[in-house]
Amino acid sequence: MSDGPTLSFGLQIQPQSRMVSIVRRFVEESFEKLVGDPEAVFRVSLAVHELLENAAKYAVGDKAGLSVYFESDGAAASIKLTNETTPEHIRRLRACIDEIQASDEPGELYQAFMRRSFGLQNESGLGLARIRAEGELNLSLETQGTTVTITASCLPHKETQP
Amino acid sequence: MTSWAENMKENDFSAEANASERRIQVTLSGTADLTVRSQLDRFLRDVHGEAQRSRAEEVTVDVRALEFMNSSCLKCFVWWISTVQEQTTEGRYRIVFVSSPTVYWQRRSLNALACLANELITVQA
Repeated sequence: MSDGPTLSFGLQIQPQSRMVSIVRRFVEESFEKLVGDPEAVFRVSLAVHELLENAAKYAVGDKAGLSVYFESDGAAASIKLTNETTPEHIRRLRACIDEIQASDEPGELYQAFMRRSFGLQNESGLGLARIRAEGELNLSLETQGTTVTITASCLPHKETQP
Repeated sequence: MTSWAENMKENDFSAEANASERRIQVTLSGTADLTVRSQLDRFLRDVHGEAQRSRAEEVTVDVRALEFMNSSCLKCFVWWISTVQEQTTEGRYRIVFVSSPTVYWQRRSLNALACLANELITVQA
């Protein structure tokens, strides 16, 4: 358990592209004031941005729910985004997240996603691979009908034995 | 003396390019997100076109004032780098990113881009 304060909030937003950077800045500016590790703040705000952008591109309907949980020492974080989407997108999302979860080398997989994205306009999965590699966060997917929830999280660091 | 210049300003993002002799200087600032992706794509295609026309040796991309770049815009750079890699030796040019160590996305994202073509890309911090 973290000694510092825990920060969390939830937002209901319209998944529109112009909202993405606004919300990322809100997260950055709020957390920077309270957290001593700017790189940890960056990792959370990166995940917020890429997940919201995913919703802006592929969500069906005008609502997305974002929740962010963050321990102020950066030891634990969880960013969760829920929205409606199409069965076809859920299929692609599941394949992408399965591939990311199966890899022990997030950096190499990120490179592979980059190379694969050459010539693709959409649906490359690069944003999710980026969350895993640059954000150092684990990804998971839950679905219920056409409601999809993507979670990016890191667990508290285990105490190392002397 | 500048022989070619390209500018774009959209939302909270701006891009400038100037060519002199066989070098091109690109400066990006603000936020590169989904709202400017297609404009950035066109801009980099123009930069590449000018680099080919002028047989540029080097393109310097100053991103120090670029607060954030999303994955869609990173894909524009993947296209650019991959396209330069596909050129014959005469058509290739070096790409130098000038970055800020205090802007956290830059180290991780630019290093990842550099790994696509170590022979062509340098990242200066």
